[in-house]
Amino acid sequence: MSATHVRRRCDGIPRRDVLRVGGLTALGLGLPDLFRRRAGAADTPAKAKSCILLWLDGGPSHLETFDLKPDVPADVRGPFRPIKTKTPGVEICELLPHTAKVTDRLAIIRSMTSPLGEHGIANHYLLTGYKPSPVLDYPSYGAVVSHVRGGKHVLPPNVAIPEFRATAGSGFLGTAHEPFAVGGDPAKPDFRVRDLNEFPGITADRLHRRREFLAEFDAAQARVDTAAPADPTFEQAYRLVTSTTAKKAFDLSDEKDAVRARYGPRTIGQSCLLARRLVERGVPFVTVLNTGWDTHGDLVLRLRDGYTGAKVGVGLVPNFDLAFSALVEDLAERGLLDDTLVVAMGEFGRTPKLNTAGGRDHWPRVFSVAVAGGGVKGGQVIGSSDRVGESPRDEPVTPADLARTIYTLLGIDPKHELHTTDGRPVQVNQGGRVIAKLI
Amino acid sequence: MIETSLLLVSLLAGAPRPAPQFDTEIVPVLTKAGCNAGACHGAAAGRGGFHLSLFGGDPTGDYDAIVHALEGRRVNPVTPADSLIFAKPTGGMRHGGDTVLVEDGPGAKRLLAWIAAGTPRGTPRRVTHFAVAPSRDVVDGENAKVTLRAVARFADGPEIDVTAWTVFTSADPSAVSIDEGGTTTATVRRRGQHVVTARFLDRVEPLRVTRPLGDTPVDLAAEPTTNLIDEEIIRTLKVLRMPVSPQADDATFLRRLRLDLTGTLPTPAEAKAFAKDCATDKREKLVDRLLKSDDYADYWTLRLSRMLNVHSLPNDKDGTRAYTKWLHAGLRDGTPLDKWARQLLTATGDSHTVGPANFARMSSDARGQAELVSRAFLGARMQCANCHNHPLDRWTQDDYHGLAAVFARLDRSRVVKVSARGAVTNPRTGEPAIPRIPGTADLDRAADPMAGFAEWLTKKENPYFARAQVNRLWRAMFGRGLVEPVDDLRATNPASHPKLLDRLAEDFVRHGYDLRHTLRLIARSRAYGRVETPVPGNETDDRFYARAYRRALEPEVLADAIAAVTGVSQTYAGLPAGTRAITIYDPLSPAPSLDVLGRCSRVASCEENAEGGGLPAKLHMLNGDLLNAKIADKDGRLAKRVAAGKTDSEIVTEFYLLGFGRPPTDKELANWLTRIEKAGRDGRKACLEDFVWGLLNSREFATNH
Repeated sequence: MSATHVRRRCDGIPRRDVLRVGGLTALGLGLPDLFRRRAGAADTPAKAKSCILLWLDGGPSHLETFDLKPDVPADVRGPFRPIKTKTPGVEICELLPHTAKVTDRLAIIRSMTSPLGEHGIANHYLLTGYKPSPVLDYPSYGAVVSHVRGGKHVLPPNVAIPEFRATAGSGFLGTAHEPFAVGGDPAKPDFRVRDLNEFPGITADRLHRRREFLAEFDAAQARVDTAAPADPTFEQAYRLVTSTTAKKAFDLSDEKDAVRARYGPRTIGQSCLLARRLVERGVPFVTVLNTGWDTHGDLVLRLRDGYTGAKVGVGLVPNFDLAFSALVEDLAERGLLDDTLVVAMGEFGRTPKLNTAGGRDHWPRVFSVAVAGGGVKGGQVIGSSDRVGESPRDEPVTPADLARTIYTLLGIDPKHELHTTDGRPVQVNQGGRVIAKLI
Repeated sequence: MIETSLLLVSLLAGAPRPAPQFDTEIVPVLTKAGCNAGACHGAAAGRGGFHLSLFGGDPTGDYDAIVHALEGRRVNPVTPADSLIFAKPTGGMRHGGDTVLVEDGPGAKRLLAWIAAGTPRGTPRRVTHFAVAPSRDVVDGENAKVTLRAVARFADGPEIDVTAWTVFTSADPSAVSIDEGGTTTATVRRRGQHVVTARFLDRVEPLRVTRPLGDTPVDLAAEPTTNLIDEEIIRTLKVLRMPVSPQADDATFLRRLRLDLTGTLPTPAEAKAFAKDCATDKREKLVDRLLKSDDYADYWTLRLSRMLNVHSLPNDKDGTRAYTKWLHAGLRDGTPLDKWARQLLTATGDSHTVGPANFARMSSDARGQAELVSRAFLGARMQCANCHNHPLDRWTQDDYHGLAAVFARLDRSRVVKVSARGAVTNPRTGEPAIPRIPGTADLDRAADPMAGFAEWLTKKENPYFARAQVNRLWRAMFGRGLVEPVDDLRATNPASHPKLLDRLAEDFVRHGYDLRHTLRLIARSRAYGRVETPVPGNETDDRFYARAYRRALEPEVLADAIAAVTGVSQTYAGLPAGTRAITIYDPLSPAPSLDVLGRCSRVASCEENAEGGGLPAKLHMLNGDLLNAKIADKDGRLAKRVAAGKTDSEIVTEFYLLGFGRPPTDKELANWLTRIEKAGRDGRKACLEDFVWGLLNSREFATNH
């Protein structure tokens, strides 16, 4: 088995020791349990086996989602009103009626705070828990999970639907841990993951021989090369195409119509449904990318209506509402919610004051994040913002704090050391504090 | 000026120290304490109702905010210690940012003295000189300590020690930690070359501290220094005590150079001829030949197109065609890069016929163009300065909007022209921004601002242009820039080899901004010619050029290489048969096979795009048609060779030469012959196909090394 190769590093720890642990054989689906805790025991008992990150790209307005300010002047209040939720005393935006019914399962953090208000660097901070550094490209959550938990199971450990943000890839952990982007739009009837089925005429035997031949070519190179001889990305691809059960995971036509409808017909909904299928089959990290939240203008059109003259709103928030609430409920009904951490967030919030275009600009100083499942205590609001949603009023939570909490919930020791290519140790998380109330 | 001399006189006379000056003595206290950092009052919107300019970039505004705003309540000259500006940071009053100044420390004392003296503004003075130095720049042993010292000089003043007022930031705190108790020291915790940046007022200087990788010196005396590149590379390696890998053999060198200069694999005939050539200067001749080839112009047009963000516009492909044709002609004719830049910055006319006029059309507005100009020509990312002064660099909002104003009057329709109107608003002033050379001076409103900017940019003394360009050329040849990323040159992101970057830039200017000259210089250096295989002591090297670095072939290059080996060209929609991928300059030209290999869409900057396409690319190699259809094509190379009755040995050897630029070793050949024989007569063709598939997926094929 190729995993016997040890990449040279000054601390003497083989980079791919995880492969040796998992390298007994390709065990098939549902393997992640085996790899849990190999990063060492975390501070708190971990519940989550998987994580679904609903990434609301562009920075969703906290004032139009989870943190409304009904009693302030109109130029701050914005166009929407709050509604009551299942949780007494907690109100959220009127565009989130379905989410309002599942707040008993949600923890809403209203005191997220960061100093970074530009998309690229804020993306990086929120998706890695580290502020961007000139000397190090930090890995995003999915890459760390892939690195720690990855190994030899068939489905890729880090999947992005339909794609992922280049600003938050695998960082110094290398392309092998980059998210697997399914590429297509799951809401389209002809959706399929490209190149998952064999090329005509190439039988399983021939695929097997090709892999053997490739290994021979690369073994010859290994003598002159410093990197591992077996290409882990290739191995991943090979396992995937040779497993019919694995391929089935991506097949949404397998779901009942009622289930598909429940998530809503839009990309975000069907992406969340696909995410559920994947975590059900043991994928430890799935990112659903939902773009368009950089709403510098026209909040009503972009957040509620979706297009001019819409009778039923199909803007960002209603679509999110259907998808997010269905995901949480569906996971709960299937008994998966306790094992699956769901996080909905973007890179920052929006300015308290509406701008002249009827939109809001970037505002990282306070914003909201919603989490559910995976051991999170639901039915609560953590922290609050001040009167106008400008700064945290209490219990400020930094992206580093959130990162530490997410890793802890996933059973990854935040103090676990990752290693850069030149052998430098970097902790999974630094400087964050676990949000105690959340767990 | 007079005040400065008075100050000097009084200092020399030993008179009581005069009141601290605001700009030069109080602002540094605030910066050192972090008050004006982006996370605190330096944020664009301030903090807690109190706004300071980021890192004290605007002392006049800061003076106002402290002394006059809030009806002067922030300062209390009668009981200075009750001033908000003093009581809050020292913990005397509730402060959101906690205690940041020790009450009896030098900063607090200075602040108090200034308030007691009636908060004088003093004469604004500029820093004319700022320098930092470690007591040693090379240390041995674990956790060695180095003393840091910073000195500054103001206009006409003496040099003064400003260490206590300088902010030292370690680029990597786990490698170098800074301790500021009493004397300022840096503790070097890891081996390697480390950077600490020092900031005083508006000046930033990097300093380097090295702890060698080995404990004993390495002998590099035998390593010849062909040119300035090797001098600098070896100098650093000596300090680091890192040995070098030997020079690559002919086949490796030919393949590497071919890929770097032309994006194309050497042909088997070329590889054989080069191996046979006995001339001692055959590598130099090869460099010259390739630089003159059409392949070079073809491939570097793609590279330049990436840098310039070339892409077609909706329903308009003619512009891109004219643009890339012009770039291609420039490469072929060896147009100096400064001339190029001037034409791009000033061209007007019909974009379907005037190539460079398309430059203006690649951005939708003046701000977008300013960002492209700064990235491509200055190697700087200026977009932060759209909303506030750049937190890590010297760029101000005035610089950003001033540069945008240079292009404000451009009409970006098909016929690009300068219109009578057009302005960008500077959000800081709310007024139309004044055209400005970033970091330098406003431009004459009456004159053509684009010509003015172009003239400044391409002056020999320009500190940005040549450095940004040679850094890019370096990256193209080595796979990493002396500064990374290549569009982020700034004092706080220093080069791995600053002197080398300076010398390369100077050499580039001296040789008339000739791309070929610098590429030749690099290609002829020993540093470029080394093998990738490490020798003991340089295994971890990824930036000191003690060995070569392996790089994935770019998607376009890989696609062409596959076509060349299989003898089946890829058909791209709407393009003539036989079109090579490296000549598809428009990233919006549909090419699904390139997309799956990770082609850059050029929505954002693509210069960093060097990695393969990850899992989707591997899946495509396994199951997609890019490889599979070509390998099995009945008119493809393999089918033809089989039909022509070639032996296994002939076929294996030919494919090795095609894909790797070298024949198989005896052992390799024997292995494949056994394999193919085992497949039997009926299985021979399939087995050969699988052999070719393996070759095309191997690291030796899919990387430049």
